[in-house]
Amino acid sequence: MAQLTLEHVTKQYEDVTAVDDMNLDIRDGEFVCLVGPSGCGKSTTMETIAGLTKPTEGTIRIGDRDVTKLPPKDRGVAMVFQNIALFPHMDVYDNISFGLRLRDFDTDEIDRRVNRATEIVQLEGMLDRMPDEMSGGQRQRVAIARAIVRNPDVFLMDEPLANLDAKLRVHMRTELQRLHKELDTTIIYVTHDQAEAMTMSDRIAVINAGELQQIDPPLVCYNQPANLFVAGFIGSPSMNFVEGELTDSGVRTSSFHVDCDVSAIDGVSVGDPITVGVRPEDVHLADRGQDVTAPTQPIPVDTDVLEPMGNEVFVYLKLESGSDRTMAETEIDGDKEVVAGPQGQLLMSLEPDTDIEEDQQVEVVLDRTSIHLFDSQTGNALVHGVEHLGNARVGDEATHAGAESDSYT
Amino acid sequence: MATQTEQQTGSDEQNLGPLQQWTQGVLSDQEKQQRLYRALFYVAAIFFLVTTLFPFYWLLVLALTPNSAILGGDWSLPVIGLEFPHPQGFNVVAFVEVFQQVPFHLYVFNSFVLAVTTTIIVIAVASLAGYVFGRLDFPGRGPLLLGILVVSYFPPAAFLIPLFDAFLGNAVVLPFVGIELFEPPRLVNTPGAMIMPFSALFLPLSIFILMTFYSQIPDGLEDAARVEGTTRLGALVRVIMPLSAPGVATAAVLTFIAVYNEYFFSEIMALENVPQNWSPLVGGILSYQDQYTTDFNLMAAASIVGVLPMLILVIVAQEKIVSGLTAGALKE
Repeated sequence: MAQLTLEHVTKQYEDVTAVDDMNLDIRDGEFVCLVGPSGCGKSTTMETIAGLTKPTEGTIRIGDRDVTKLPPKDRGVAMVFQNIALFPHMDVYDNISFGLRLRDFDTDEIDRRVNRATEIVQLEGMLDRMPDEMSGGQRQRVAIARAIVRNPDVFLMDEPLANLDAKLRVHMRTELQRLHKELDTTIIYVTHDQAEAMTMSDRIAVINAGELQQIDPPLVCYNQPANLFVAGFIGSPSMNFVEGELTDSGVRTSSFHVDCDVSAIDGVSVGDPITVGVRPEDVHLADRGQDVTAPTQPIPVDTDVLEPMGNEVFVYLKLESGSDRTMAETEIDGDKEVVAGPQGQLLMSLEPDTDIEEDQQVEVVLDRTSIHLFDSQTGNALVHGVEHLGNARVGDEATHAGAESDSYT
Repeated sequence: MATQTEQQTGSDEQNLGPLQQWTQGVLSDQEKQQRLYRALFYVAAIFFLVTTLFPFYWLLVLALTPNSAILGGDWSLPVIGLEFPHPQGFNVVAFVEVFQQVPFHLYVFNSFVLAVTTTIIVIAVASLAGYVFGRLDFPGRGPLLLGILVVSYFPPAAFLIPLFDAFLGNAVVLPFVGIELFEPPRLVNTPGAMIMPFSALFLPLSIFILMTFYSQIPDGLEDAARVEGTTRLGALVRVIMPLSAPGVATAAVLTFIAVYNEYFFSEIMALENVPQNWSPLVGGILSYQDQYTTDFNLMAAASIVGVLPMLILVIVAQEKIVSGLTAGALKE
C-alpha cells in the first residue's frame, strides 16, 4: 500500500504523443479510475505505471521510491488485464502462485496465501482447473486472485470487465468494490465506460488526447465539470450543449435566453461566444415546472423522437429558429472535440408516465441552478448554475481550474 | 465435360457408354462419389507407403540374407521364379556382427551427442532470435531477417574449404590483403569442428519457425508474466516457450534429424573414419566396406540399427511435430 505520484509524465511514439505531461497524485488506499475515449492515452498511462513502457519524460513514484527506471517486477505492482491473460498452460493454483514461486516463497506460505486469495474471490475448490475449463467470470476472478496474492502496493486494472457480458460486468463491478473495501489497497482502474468510473471510484481522472482534463470525485465531475469535454463525457446520456453569446443581460442563444448577472463571470466579456450546457434531467416541461425552484423563461420546442427506457423517457426536442446556422458553425469549428449531440437539439428526461407524443409542440424550462456556462473558445467551464450569479460564484477555482494545469494537491 | 454430361442427361440413359454412365453416376450419386474419393485416397496412400517403406523392406531383406547370397544376386522367388527381393535365409546374427566387426555403438553415440548438442545450441540461440524478431520492433529488423535468409540459401559446401582450413589450426588471413587476423585452435577430430558449422547451418530454419510461433503469443501474457515478476528472458522461458511447445518441438526434431543423418561435414572434419575422431553414424555404416570386400548385409543391418533411435524419437514426438507443422493461431 502506497501512494502513487506521476510527475510530468510524457510518452511519445515517433510522431504521436500518447501521454502529454500527466500529473497524478493518488493517495494511499484510493480507488481512482482513468477514464476517457478509446486511444486517449489512459492505457499507456497505466503501462508506464506498471513499467511495461518507459515514459519519454517524467517521474513515477510509488511510496517514496522513484520507480521510473525499474522493471515491472521490482515495482510492487500487480495488474489485471483486459484480455485476462491467464497462463493457459498452468492450472489455477499455478497461475495464482506464479509470482510467489518466482520470489522463492516456501510452499506453506504459498499455500496459505493462495487459499486466502481464492477465499476472497470465492474460487475455493477450483485450484486444479485449467483456465480453458472456466467461464469468463471465473477466469477474471483467477486473474484478480493472481494480482492480490502478492499484496501489491498498487493494484492496476486495465479494463478488466470489458470482455465480460453485461450482466456479469455489473456483478463483478460490485465485487470489485467489495474487494477494495476489504483490501484497502491503492487501485488504479482504466475504463472507457463512464458508468463503471462513476459507480466504483473515489476519484475519476478524465483523460482526453493524452491530457488530464479533471481529477475529482465522481459527483464533482458530474456536477461541476471542468470543461466541455468532461461535461460531455461524464453522464449518460450526455449533457446538452447550445451555442450562444454573452449579452448585457445574460446569455442569448438562437432559440432562448438565459438571464443572469454577467458581470460576475470572469474572463469573458459581452459578445463572447458561450456554450450553454444542461443535463437532460434538468430540462422540464413548462406546465410541470412547479417543482423546479428556479425555472428559466419557457422555451417553445417541438418533440422529435421518444425513447422510453422504462424508468424514464428520453425526449429529443427540436429547438426552434436558427438551428441550421449553429450546426454550420460547429462544423467549421470542428477542431474542438466536444462529445455532444448535434446542435439545435435538446434531450430531455421525463417520468415514464408523462403524457407526451412525437411531433408535439410543447414548452420547456431549464433548471437555472444546473445550467453550466462554458467559454466556447477554450472549452473551460465558467459557471455551474446561473441562479446564484450576482451573489456568489458556485464552485471555487480550486476544483475546476484550467484543464491543462490541473494538479490535485 | 460437365456441360457434356448435362446434355446427355436429357437423352435416354441406355444410349450412354459404360464410362459415361459411370461418370454420370459419380456426378449425381453422393455415395458413388464417396466411393471414388475413398478409392483415390487409397491409391495415393499406397503409393506413398510403397515408395517410403520399400527401401526399409529392402534393408531388412539385405540384413537377413547372408552376404554370399547377396553377392550371388539370384532374387527369383522359389516357386513362381519371378525376380523379387526377398530374404534368402534368416541370418539374424548380422545384427550382432554389426557390433563385433566395428564399434558401431560408438559411431551411433557420436552422432547422438553431436545431434543433441547442436539441437540444444540451436534451440537456445534461435529462441532468443525468434523472440527478438517475432515480438520486438526495432530499426534494422527487416535487413537482419533478410541476412539470415540469405545465409540459409548458401550451399553448405561453400563453407567447407575455409572452415576446414581454419579448423586445421591455420591462421585466418584476410584475402588479397594478407593480414593475419587470428590463429584458431586446431578443432579437427573434435566435436567442436562439427557442432559449430551444424549450428550455424541449421539456425536460420529454426529462427523462422520459432519467430512465427513466438509472434503469435498474445502480448498480454508476456506483460502479465513481467508484472508478476519475470524478466523478459524469464517470460520467454516460462510462458512463451511452453505455449509454443509444438513449434519448439518441430524446430528441435528437424535439427536433430538433420544432424543425426549428417555425413558430409563430419566425415571431412574427422580426419580418419574412427569413432575416436567423432566420425558419425554414416561413417560407421561405410566402415563395413574395405578395399576388397563389402559386407552388404552388415551395412544394411547397421542402417536399421541406426534408424531405430530416430524412429523412437519421431513416434514419441509425432503428435507435437504434426501440430507444429500445421499449427494455426494460439488462443488465449
